[in-house]
Amino acid sequence: MNLLAVSINHRTAPVELRESLHLSTEEIKIFLKELKGSIFSEGFIISTCNRTEIYGFPVNPRTNFKDLQKFLIEMKPVGSITPENFQNYFSCGAVNHLFRVSAGIDSLLIGDNQILGQVKESFQISEEFDFAGFLMKRIFDSAIKVGKRAKTETVISDGAITVSYAAVQLIEKIFSNLNRKSALVIGTGETGEIAAKHLRDKGIGRLSVTNRTMEKAEKLAGTIHATTVPFQNFREYLQDYDIIISATSAPDLILTYDDVKKAMKKRGGASTILMDIAIPRDIDPSVRSIDNVFYHDIDSLKIIVDQNVRKRQSELPKVQSIIMEEMVNLFGWYNSLEVTPTIKSLRQLFEDIRMEEVEKIKNKLSPEDIEKLELVTKRIVNKLLHQPTVELKKISENGVNTQESAMKVNVIRSIFGLDHES
Amino acid sequence: MYSAVKILNFLLPVLYGLTFLVYLYDFVKEKNRFSNSKRIFLFVTLIFHTFYLLARTIDFNHPPITNVFEIFTVLAFAISCSYFILELLTDIRGTGLFIIVFSLIFQLISSCFIQDLTEVREVLRNRMLGLHVISALLGYSGITISAVYGLLFWILYKEIKLNKFGLIFERLPSLEKLEQLSYYSVVIGFVLLTIAIVIGAVWLPQAFPNFNYFDPKLIVTGFVWLLYGLGILSKTVGGWSGKKVIVFSIAGFCLAIFSILLTNFLAKSFHSFY
Repeated sequence: MNLLAVSINHRTAPVELRESLHLSTEEIKIFLKELKGSIFSEGFIISTCNRTEIYGFPVNPRTNFKDLQKFLIEMKPVGSITPENFQNYFSCGAVNHLFRVSAGIDSLLIGDNQILGQVKESFQISEEFDFAGFLMKRIFDSAIKVGKRAKTETVISDGAITVSYAAVQLIEKIFSNLNRKSALVIGTGETGEIAAKHLRDKGIGRLSVTNRTMEKAEKLAGTIHATTVPFQNFREYLQDYDIIISATSAPDLILTYDDVKKAMKKRGGASTILMDIAIPRDIDPSVRSIDNVFYHDIDSLKIIVDQNVRKRQSELPKVQSIIMEEMVNLFGWYNSLEVTPTIKSLRQLFEDIRMEEVEKIKNKLSPEDIEKLELVTKRIVNKLLHQPTVELKKISENGVNTQESAMKVNVIRSIFGLDHES
Repeated sequence: MYSAVKILNFLLPVLYGLTFLVYLYDFVKEKNRFSNSKRIFLFVTLIFHTFYLLARTIDFNHPPITNVFEIFTVLAFAISCSYFILELLTDIRGTGLFIIVFSLIFQLISSCFIQDLTEVREVLRNRMLGLHVISALLGYSGITISAVYGLLFWILYKEIKLNKFGLIFERLPSLEKLEQLSYYSVVIGFVLLTIAIVIGAVWLPQAFPNFNYFDPKLIVTGFVWLLYGLGILSKTVGGWSGKKVIVFSIAGFCLAIFSILLTNFLAKSFHSFY
């Protein structure tokens, strides 16, 4: 299989370079138009914030990685790019890499959930352009299967691996239905904003934000459909919220033990989550001693993140074995594609020899004898070819043991000189 | 039929043990092949148990409530059956092993010591008594399940407070869910206990000439009923939630079991049959 691939990803290039090589859907379409026919007979492009990759079957057998790299640089000129920024793959290596990408184990965050969708999208664009033939479709189907199996058969994508998502995971371990809960996010910096967006995505019932600079709070509230609370007196409203996430850059505590104790009294002791994801901390840690108050700071969230990362890493061998199984299936199928032409060539070779020899003595025989000779020689050829044909058909039917199939086909092609003949 | 009873008496602890192991395996190991099929094990066990209870009733011509070991097998069935319904209704599957273990223990004790009594006091063949005992046992199953969920709530609560995010944290449902499960079970248990008390109050004076409203067993049952009634009121009317309700539930359960054991084994009562 002469699948060719080049990749620029988080391991080979800094973020600035990856950003400048990122291709929009429109750009991918332009690239595919250029690739189609001139470089590749079939192909597709994956481009995300962490990788840009081109896959395809070259039209010209002499096309190599350098041509692909050159194509990419010419189409998207970036000054600082060097050959070291590329990873190059061929045949099995290219398929293996694509499978790793689909399974999320080649991602910056192991077990990334989004990449499979992005791979699907890339392939759909290629199909729109009629740039994906039966072979590419089969590779793509296998890649999607790998991605799905990795997600369902392993825990490679389970558990939060970012602090803000770990906060949400922890919240979900305390409250079962966020639709009926209210949350207040204190501080609208990057961390606060991410946390607020996560809560909105999880369907929080009522969301409010507060910030020392009210304009910033109002701006964020507008984008995530939240309300604002004046920063000067937000403590007066604490009892109205089930979840409070604090992520300010205040140098001192903004919520004391007494503030929380008072709020809990007004709430009748109903459970409250206090997530302090600020450095230095915003909330007095001693509040964790109050009943039904769940106080967690960045260190406790890091415990969850570290555990989940370790768990995902321990799943890598399982995912790798899924990849290997699917590669064996794919290449078994691929090798079986070569079986039919081999049988055809082999029979043609024997038939040519038979005819040639019959032709040599044709003039010395009567028409009845020629007829008999034709019959006898045909029978001999058929008998000689019976076993090899059965054996080759078996490979085509089973089509799973890649190495054995390839070896048998190659031995037959080589000893009978079939490649030379064709 | 008698041989079926004998075989099932031996088979049931094995089935409960197997079901418990499947639930345990599923709890410890994520994404395994028993995740969806484990409830089939429980279902099959319950089918066999139903057949066993029916077979005993027909074979010995009285409901299996005439001695403590018969009561235990009914209790094992009631606990698992209540859990099975709860699992189907809520689709919360990670807590089964903590409930099924009780069924396993009760069934194991029952299977080891159960006697085949064909001669029992006439009053024990009464249908009203059957209803009274079954509703009481289902009621106690309800409060047992509630206490188990309460205990799980307590453990998870402590784990979260102490930043321990291990297996319990990962596999148990949310605290709010556990609190809900505990509450629903206690409400169902309370309603069934009320039914048992009402049947008892109507039927007992007619059935027993020496009936006495100040019987220790009746007083204790009334006390347990009152305690749980107060607990339910504290949540519905008083707005109690979280740890406070759970502590009340666990303490209530311990007190109930202690009082029942005490009156059963120490006090003299007309309400004792074995």
